[in-house]
Amino acid sequence: MPELAKGQRRISRLAAFFLMIFAILYGYLGGTVEYSFSSDPIGPRGFPVALAIVLFGLSVWYFAQPGQSESWPDRDGQIAAITLLALCSACILGMNFLGFLPAMTIILGGIARLFGASWPMAALSGLAQAAIWWALFGPLLGGHLPKGLLGI
Amino acid sequence: MSFDFLWQGFGVALMPQNLLIALIGCFLGTVIGCLPAIGPINGIALLLPIAYTAGLPPESTLILLASIYYGAEYGGRISSILLNVPGDAGAVMTAIDGYPMARNGEAVKALAISGISSFYGGMIAVVAMTFLAVPLSLLAIKFGPAEYFVLMVFAFATLGSMVGAEPVKTLIGCVLGLMLTTIGIDATSGAYRFTFDQPELHDGIEFIILVIGLFSISEVLLMLEHKMKGTLKPLAVTGSYPSWSEIRYIWWPSFRATVIGFIIGVLPGTGASVASAVSYTTEKRISDRESTFGKGDIRGLAAPEAANNAAATGAFVPMLALGVPGSGTTAVMLGALMLYNIQPGPQLFVEQSKLVGGLIASMYVGNIILLVMNLPLVQLFARMLLMPNWILIPAITALSILGVYTAYSSVMSVMIMFGIGIVGYILRKLGFDMAPIILGFVLGKVMEVNLRNALAISGGEYSILFASPLSITLWVMAAMVVILPWWRRRKRAAPPGLPG
Amino acid sequence: MRTIHYIAALAFAGFASSAMAQPAKTECIAGAKPGGGFDLTCRLAGNALHAAKLIKDPMSVTYMEGGVGAIAYNHIVGTRPGDAGVVVAASSGSALLIAQGKFGKHDENAVRWLGALGTDYGVLAVAADSPIKDLKDLIAAFGKDPGAFPVGGGGAVGSQDWMKMAMIAKEAKVDPKKMRYAALEGGGAVTNALQGGHVKIASGDASEMIALHQDKKLRILAVMSEKRLPGRFQDIPTTFEQGYSIDWPIWRGLYVGPKVSDADYNWWVDTLRKLSKTPEFQKEREARGLFAFDLLGSDYDKRVKADVVRFKALAKEAGL
Repeated sequence: MPELAKGQRRISRLAAFFLMIFAILYGYLGGTVEYSFSSDPIGPRGFPVALAIVLFGLSVWYFAQPGQSESWPDRDGQIAAITLLALCSACILGMNFLGFLPAMTIILGGIARLFGASWPMAALSGLAQAAIWWALFGPLLGGHLPKGLLGI
Repeated sequence: MSFDFLWQGFGVALMPQNLLIALIGCFLGTVIGCLPAIGPINGIALLLPIAYTAGLPPESTLILLASIYYGAEYGGRISSILLNVPGDAGAVMTAIDGYPMARNGEAVKALAISGISSFYGGMIAVVAMTFLAVPLSLLAIKFGPAEYFVLMVFAFATLGSMVGAEPVKTLIGCVLGLMLTTIGIDATSGAYRFTFDQPELHDGIEFIILVIGLFSISEVLLMLEHKMKGTLKPLAVTGSYPSWSEIRYIWWPSFRATVIGFIIGVLPGTGASVASAVSYTTEKRISDRESTFGKGDIRGLAAPEAANNAAATGAFVPMLALGVPGSGTTAVMLGALMLYNIQPGPQLFVEQSKLVGGLIASMYVGNIILLVMNLPLVQLFARMLLMPNWILIPAITALSILGVYTAYSSVMSVMIMFGIGIVGYILRKLGFDMAPIILGFVLGKVMEVNLRNALAISGGEYSILFASPLSITLWVMAAMVVILPWWRRRKRAAPPGLPG
Repeated sequence: MRTIHYIAALAFAGFASSAMAQPAKTECIAGAKPGGGFDLTCRLAGNALHAAKLIKDPMSVTYMEGGVGAIAYNHIVGTRPGDAGVVVAASSGSALLIAQGKFGKHDENAVRWLGALGTDYGVLAVAADSPIKDLKDLIAAFGKDPGAFPVGGGGAVGSQDWMKMAMIAKEAKVDPKKMRYAALEGGGAVTNALQGGHVKIASGDASEMIALHQDKKLRILAVMSEKRLPGRFQDIPTTFEQGYSIDWPIWRGLYVGPKVSDADYNWWVDTLRKLSKTPEFQKEREARGLFAFDLLGSDYDKRVKADVVRFKALAKEAGL
């Protein structure tokens, strides 16, 4: 138990530290927003700077008094999450090139596989779902989805 | 004021052709509402040209559009409750208690409760609109930048109820939400804030992108983690319909939420998202004694549902009484009137009483149709959850991607959504609630813009914030929301010897 | 900030064809949400084209919300420069943004401007019970004490509504920066704020204000155009009539990508020219509160570029 609490404290200290950095960065960017003039006395910089100060103060509080509900995924969880995100990002970035159907087939098939479908079932359900969503949001609802390689 | 227009209106709304149109509209609206990609605005924009080309008379077109709008308010909750993917802006707060209910095996009850409270909120609001439209529209005009700012102060005061066991996390979440609203072109000075030369960021982070990222993408990641640990079990049951005592139990929460939602809906500067947020936090403040809100409390589900339907109805008040739109959707409807050469304006009520009456009567009819249509469908919808996870979760992902892509036709926006999803996942792992972020986001922009506009008008004098009786009333209300619970607690704690 | 100019926004209708190369599939990009000005420009242009049987299949509308059209502009220049079937909706607001360098990395020469289909005009209004009866009164009173006249407009500092009032301020020898200007969310919010007494002057579009003017809920002081407008506007004097050479048309039009061939470009221009003469188109345009603004092909191109130059000068003068 003490071990766990120690790990938890480390996570929340780290999070608080990142929030402080973020507050400083955000406050700096907000305080240097370029504008010619504003018709109000606060201007576009006022709100961001005020929020940055408040967030910094809150992160100090968080740092001083670590939370009780932090947890972190284990190695398997991390790998799975990164796989899912990498797969999605790659296919979405490549969607204009690949086209909606192929990209979505890979994404949806991959997720099905991650959630325990066998390879053939994953491929089948990926293809089937991609086709259904394409038909619904493309021809049926008149949306424009990337055509890509297949030209549809 | 005579109510001839209403009788005349019922004559119009109950014509077989118009009843059929209302039925079609309600059904389409429900479908449109549950898809996050297309909200009522899109649905209406899509169907308006068809209705016009088909040669429908103006009152029938308006009935069609209104019933789509209505149906969408009912439909928005379905994906919110079942998948944690809010179908539209008003349905975000619904997910906070609705989704836990569904995961606890009470999907049918959650859907039915939300349908019933939607009906309740919609009906009371229509009655209120029928009798109070004109005086209420004056309230809409009385609200200037200073009053909107104080209204937001009041809304933030009700937020106190969201502070849970770890107040610092609630506050940080709220500030993060506020920070997100500062992204984009500054509404007052036109300055570019945090846009990093990306045109996708010029209009700021869209609400729907934020919500889909924070709720559904982070949920998918959480479920994946459970899957890897072997703790992800598919749902086996979807529960049963609520009992009469449960329906009675949500009576007062729904009523309070309806009043709040309707008034906020009438104000053109705020919308269904603010209405449902404020009604949720207020209800939590009033009734959350055992801190069951956020874990599947039916009152936490009923309140925002009643409020967003009441707000949707309230948005018609400025449209009908003043000729100015109360929301994006009503703006499109006003546009529809112009197609028929009907000039919207303050005289609409008088000059087009058949049209206005037909519209209002169709809202009574539409609410009944929606309730009757929705209740039996609830079990069908809920059965979706019994699908294996490897079908359900790709479907959630697909809906999330499409929801963003079809609205913005931009790969970049989808990536922003994923980025928000990752941050949301990390924050959830750190024990942060998503609700304060959403609330900060919903209230932040209205607050900043109106404060700065108020000061621009007064030339920098802060006294403008206390200048009108309306803003003073709102200040007092905000103070009461903060002080009352504290005072009540103290009073309760004071005589320790008495039996509880 | 998305502004829904609900009436002005409901732009117009489309065009007509000739024997020249007709694109197989037509698409119109609206650089905003459904229901906004760009959407209705597109939608009605497409509907009219199809109704007039000038294109075979209905024109589809794609929404590309972001940067008040900047994303659509970048998209057409960057991704689909040679697609002859795609037109994009634009407005004088687009020219203003280009002039201020707020339209991404491209300037006004990056696309081929097809034609304008109609226009609205800027107006200035005061409350119905205001002692100010015409523009001269306003300029005199405003010049004396600009602080007593908070102004409401539907856009940020530097937007069209702000510019309109900045030009009046200049006439009154007041530094536009001294204006008490509230940037409200769209035309409806502006007229509400004027009626509620929160602002004293409203800067907006003619079609948004006329119904309220006729109902005596507010008073339009001047239409910012050279010629008197017809119909419901026939009793409202223009800025020019009152001795101020300030006009502010808010035109709406279309452009295509930079690499669209001359043949395709000319087909579009010809089609627009034909359609603009049909009575159906004229009726539709009027129903949407828009006035004739027939500038097509190279005339329109010149107008857009002249506007950009003019807006640049204005922005500089106003100190932006």
